Amino acid sequence: MPKRKDIHKILMIGSGPIVIGQACEFDYSGSQACKALKEEGYRTILVNSNPATIMTDPNMADVTYIEPLTVEAVTEIIKKERPDAILPTLGGQTGLNLAFFLMKEGILKKYGVESIGANVDAISRAEDRELFKKAMLEIGIDVPKSGIATTIEEGIKIGLGIGFPLILRPAYTLGGTGGSIAYNKEELELFLAKGIELSPVGQILVEQSVLGWKEIEFEVMRDCVDNVIMITSMENVDPMGVHTGDSIVVAPSQTLTKEEYAQFVNLSKKIIRKIGITGGGANIQFAQNPANGHIVIIEVNPRLSRSSALASKATGFPIARVATKLAVGLTLPEVLNQITGGTKAFFEPTVDYCVFKICRFTFEKFPQTNRTLNTSMKAVGEAMSIGRNFKEALQKGIRSTEIRRFGLGCDGRDKITDENIESPGADTIQTIKEKIRLPNDDRLFYIRYALKLGMTAEEIYELSRIDMWFIDNLKQIVELEEGLKNYRKTSQKGSIKIPPAVLLEAKKYGFSDVQIAFLTKSSEKEVRELRKRHDIKPTYKLVDTCAGEIKAKQPYYYSTYETEDESRPTKNKKVLILGGGPNRIGQGIEFDYCCCHASYALKEEGIESIMVNCNPETVSTDYDTSDKLYFEPLTVEDVMNIVDNEKPIGAIVQFGGQTPLNISGELHKMGLNILGTSPDSIDIAEDRKRFQQMLKKLKLVQPDNGTATSFEEAKKIAHTIGYPVVVRPSYVLGGRAMEIVYDEKALCDYMERATEASPEKPILIDKFLEDAIEVDVDAIADGKRCVIGGFLEHIEEAGIHSGDSAMVLPPHTLGKDIIDTIKKNTYAMAKELKVKGLMNVQYAVKNNIVYVLEVNPRASRTVPFVSKAIGIPLAKLATKIMLGKTLDELGFTKEKNINFVVVKESVFPFIRFPGADAILGPEMKSTGEVMGMDSTFGMAYAKSQLAAGQKLPKKGNVFISVKNQDKRNMVFVAKKLSDLGFKILATIGTAEALRSNDIEVRVLPKLHEGRPNIIDFIKDNKVHLIINTPAGKATKEDESKIRAHAILYNVPLITTVSGAQASVNGIENLIKKPEMSVRSLQDYHKKIK
Amino acid sequence: MKATLVLENGRSFEGVSIGAPAERIGEVILNTAVVGYQEMMTDPANAGKLLALTYPLIGNYGVANKFYESRKCWVNGLIMKECSRIYSNWQAEGSFQDFLNHEGVVALSEVDTRTLAVELRNHGEMMGIITSEPLDGQKAIKKLREHKKKGKNNFISNISVKAITEVETGSRGPRVAVLDLGMLKSFTAQLKSLKCGVALLPYNITPKEILAIKPDGLVISSGPEDDAAIPEIIKTVNGVLGKIPILGISLGHELIALALGGKVKKMKLGHRGVNYPVKPADSFKGEITTQNHSYIVDEDSIRRKKAVEITLRNINDGSIEEMESKSLKFISTQYYPVSPGFGEVNNVFLRFLKLLNPSGRAGIKTKKNKQLEVSYAKT
Repeated sequence: MPKRKDIHKILMIGSGPIVIGQACEFDYSGSQACKALKEEGYRTILVNSNPATIMTDPNMADVTYIEPLTVEAVTEIIKKERPDAILPTLGGQTGLNLAFFLMKEGILKKYGVESIGANVDAISRAEDRELFKKAMLEIGIDVPKSGIATTIEEGIKIGLGIGFPLILRPAYTLGGTGGSIAYNKEELELFLAKGIELSPVGQILVEQSVLGWKEIEFEVMRDCVDNVIMITSMENVDPMGVHTGDSIVVAPSQTLTKEEYAQFVNLSKKIIRKIGITGGGANIQFAQNPANGHIVIIEVNPRLSRSSALASKATGFPIARVATKLAVGLTLPEVLNQITGGTKAFFEPTVDYCVFKICRFTFEKFPQTNRTLNTSMKAVGEAMSIGRNFKEALQKGIRSTEIRRFGLGCDGRDKITDENIESPGADTIQTIKEKIRLPNDDRLFYIRYALKLGMTAEEIYELSRIDMWFIDNLKQIVELEEGLKNYRKTSQKGSIKIPPAVLLEAKKYGFSDVQIAFLTKSSEKEVRELRKRHDIKPTYKLVDTCAGEIKAKQPYYYSTYETEDESRPTKNKKVLILGGGPNRIGQGIEFDYCCCHASYALKEEGIESIMVNCNPETVSTDYDTSDKLYFEPLTVEDVMNIVDNEKPIGAIVQFGGQTPLNISGELHKMGLNILGTSPDSIDIAEDRKRFQQMLKKLKLVQPDNGTATSFEEAKKIAHTIGYPVVVRPSYVLGGRAMEIVYDEKALCDYMERATEASPEKPILIDKFLEDAIEVDVDAIADGKRCVIGGFLEHIEEAGIHSGDSAMVLPPHTLGKDIIDTIKKNTYAMAKELKVKGLMNVQYAVKNNIVYVLEVNPRASRTVPFVSKAIGIPLAKLATKIMLGKTLDELGFTKEKNINFVVVKESVFPFIRFPGADAILGPEMKSTGEVMGMDSTFGMAYAKSQLAAGQKLPKKGNVFISVKNQDKRNMVFVAKKLSDLGFKILATIGTAEALRSNDIEVRVLPKLHEGRPNIIDFIKDNKVHLIINTPAGKATKEDESKIRAHAILYNVPLITTVSGAQASVNGIENLIKKPEMSVRSLQDYHKKIK
Repeated sequence: MKATLVLENGRSFEGVSIGAPAERIGEVILNTAVVGYQEMMTDPANAGKLLALTYPLIGNYGVANKFYESRKCWVNGLIMKECSRIYSNWQAEGSFQDFLNHEGVVALSEVDTRTLAVELRNHGEMMGIITSEPLDGQKAIKKLREHKKKGKNNFISNISVKAITEVETGSRGPRVAVLDLGMLKSFTAQLKSLKCGVALLPYNITPKEILAIKPDGLVISSGPEDDAAIPEIIKTVNGVLGKIPILGISLGHELIALALGGKVKKMKLGHRGVNYPVKPADSFKGEITTQNHSYIVDEDSIRRKKAVEITLRNINDGSIEEMESKSLKFISTQYYPVSPGFGEVNNVFLRFLKLLNPSGRAGIKTKKNKQLEVSYAKT
């Protein structure tokens, strides 16, 4: 069927900020959708609040709105743009929910907007648990037995009817929040009480547990004439009980027979038809009893999802692109398969390799939280790896996650060493068993320990319910590991005597040079040389959708140890771009955005672009972003193998965050040309002493500081410069293990813990500038000239990690003289460091003195934000500079002045980490960011809060409880709120301060003093905003309880005075201007001079 | 033990012999499906072939008697990347190695099957020899040439039933005769769940004998495409075509074309896998099909046959996937009309049944969700 001609303008909704459960995969799907719709000649309108996305680049959609993803904002956009249709299936759950509300509230109908891809019925059938269950039973597909309870008694009755264990899911909580597993009546009662309380509607689903069953997923697509295709199957290595987003997943499924496979396909087709998707894709999750093959359906996502991104990257089949084309009425036989270039999208991809998805966790950021994995997702990112067998793909996958592991153990970083295993204590064995029984992020390693201890595969299966086939493959790796130890070097000077055949076998099992070196007591370099001597090098094979049957036009590559290389390196001038690997806190989509721009710039300059990355969620790992894509781990070994194969003129390492920077020194030593700012300059910026010398030379000021390698030294330094001080390890990103310490005891504490954060590296100690204003500067330089992209004034005071702080551009409290000083300093440092490319500088301003905190001669997290604000693609320009262009030639010679205000706000994952306190500090904790744009600061800030999910109230009760030193500043805030009609609630101390300034306050008792206290108010939805500034390091128990409840009940929570001031400003704007004004990015950019 | 696959064009592939230690010569074919090794190896259409599986991990879910597609394994050799040392599935009755031993299959593992696939894609399907002898290329090629000189094999005589054989179906429905050139159990099972009476006919039966048993319809099964018995069978098909309703499957489809005076031609690389898209020329609605063939019906040779309608084509190469003739009362599919899932029946069998009963006399309905039982003797 030809595409629809009755629609012309299509509105797309993005997924907003990166949160756990919703990451870059929706930038990938949104970008593909934009391109696909443009190709078909539709006018595209996009709304997304996340500026760090490729999809919000002004040339992606015809009209781009960076506005909050709320019904109000999108309604305004619909009013203004009058689209014919809305495509709701590409923006994750956020996009789908928003579209659903627009349908439910009749807004789409009112403005004549049709929902394409999935209509309201289809969405309801998939999302509403009762409708879903009914639909599935109608087509003869079993669902786990379940019932909905509103009281404990009801829940017990349902539960006893089903039998233990039971899964309890509170209704309408986000992404499995508050879910638990009850094994007996006592637990059931306890969790029912908790769950009913947690659910905003007081409902809880009591469900039959299929714990330990196989978890199988299928990706399916269907078009408007009922053609249905299967993209791939996926099998979770972790059985049911672990959220699929946290599970290790392998594609295709490995343990299903042909008959079972056919049955799953058959059911999947029936399900997508029943749900009623008529132009798009769905992800279907099943559980299967491993003992008898009984299948039950768990869930259907009637949209693009994290799994569909993975399925796309695993097979080469661009699901998002094809889904978009189907949504506008095209059929699968009409859409081209761009990977092969000669066949149609109406076929089912097949693979001749094994794919792994391994998750990246950030438990180290939330030490108070339990590391056990359950039905509530906790992973912040994921890596994908490809190999010709399970073992190779697994080991590559482990090193791709960048948890400083180089495969399945034996890399010198094992928690339980071989010596421990030789004579294990009873507690060691106990720990190993526990770590296998309870799913956690380290489980694979503990299975290895168990295998080394001699535990049988059956015993491990009994504990973990991980399929025997998977366990046996792990066992094969361990057996080979033991074999390699026989070739241990006997003396320091000797050479490794590992026979080439054994070495090749180890490489085929995915062992890295680091692991082989560790096992043979040699060095990575020695192993590498030995390999080269015996010509043992990887071959590169294709991801081509068809297992080699058809010659592919636009495939991508993975390494494996086979006989023939298919990578066909060209003789062209080419450049390697090293990507950022899996998302984590501190390194996410912003860096992928920059890498994509590097690729676009290379294309424009006529140079072949070669991307190396392993994150399946990203745009950078899309088949058409670069000329060539290597889906590989970002380690020295893996990258150098590509370098040897492709022989690029150089590599870009400034864009992928800390990942490429960490290995750039070694790559450079091995002869790889690093483009742009020299490794020496990078070293000056990173090396404390050299940096200090540079500042001295340039007569710039930095806070007093020192470098310590021992506690004694640290104590001395802290004493000299005076407390409070900021302490942190060198060479880390995202403020990992960074803390502000106020006294010697705290310092001692820190030193004990911090050695683990970054071994062999000293601890840096800086004077902490209390109440200073921080400013981030993103600049671009060509070695001679430097131009500043943007000055970003932090809204929160110094001491809060720049990744977590809200920022405003242009600065709203800094005078011209300060800005000029910052400008001058930035220019001077860019010149001194001979920066070629991007540079980020962090300043602190206190008492009119401008301190330099940090210089990073690389892309920063804020580059896409600034680029969107000023309408200049900084990363793209920086790439061209690295290739030899000057700013003059690029026509960017002067700072841009914008006549509007943009605010960056961060979003946090506290809801996922029960026990972690929701306060901000020098260690970064946010997962993503949003941008608020408007003509005034107040409105831009208000929009940023709405976009971040902080629902600033326009009326109601505000609870204020602040530490002593903040009380004076809080008076103005409280007065303003009171004037705006809010009722003020406060604890006694704060209340007194406010009352003495004639503010009417209702005093609430402390938690242990009486009721109703603030917790009761929160639970009864009687408080609409909480302002609570923490009283210091040792937070009072009351405070953290209040914050935890605020998070749980989604009450807007502000933990800093400056945040409160900005919020009040925002609230005032919202009250004054009830109709939100929206304006497109393209329109803003037109007015920039 | 090390072993090698040497291709007719001199290219060789090293591997490890894991099956019976013997030398095997045959045409090397690829199959791109991820699952179904046991089914592929026991498909008589693959008789005499050296089957290379592009999916690298084989044997993971073991083997079971119910997955035999015929009474034994027919491939002359198996080429794969990695053979699983354990199996894990509740349906499994034995390991893949046991199966290889039991069937005496010569199997070569640890082969760079990806490179082999690309080689066959670029240079076409060709003969190969699996050998564990250290042999030089020239000698191997000489052996292959000598083998070729021997002419075509007659596998079908070995595959087919020796006499008319009733399949126990316990049904009261229409009687379907199957010209057994390598009938798959899974096709018989679909006829059974349609309540058909099924009788397997030997390949060398005469048209007269077929008509004498008065079947309501005839299925001409799939089987080896390049067989010495084929010229004789074409005559048989010619003798019954138009006289009784016929369903031709894969080889059966090609035989109908040949019986009509058409031609078949060999593709450079066969269609063997589970992901081949087909659709009618005038529609957007198609199907994804399972296929296992190297020959296709030559378009020019069949276009002039007025009574024949080409009902489905391959979406990518446009080749004929299905023909139908109202006047001659036949349907023929180049693809395999496989069951969509437990106990369900492919639409092609339903259409065939309608040819038998234009009025719907027997009132045949598909029985869903019924476990299949196949009545072939277990191995």
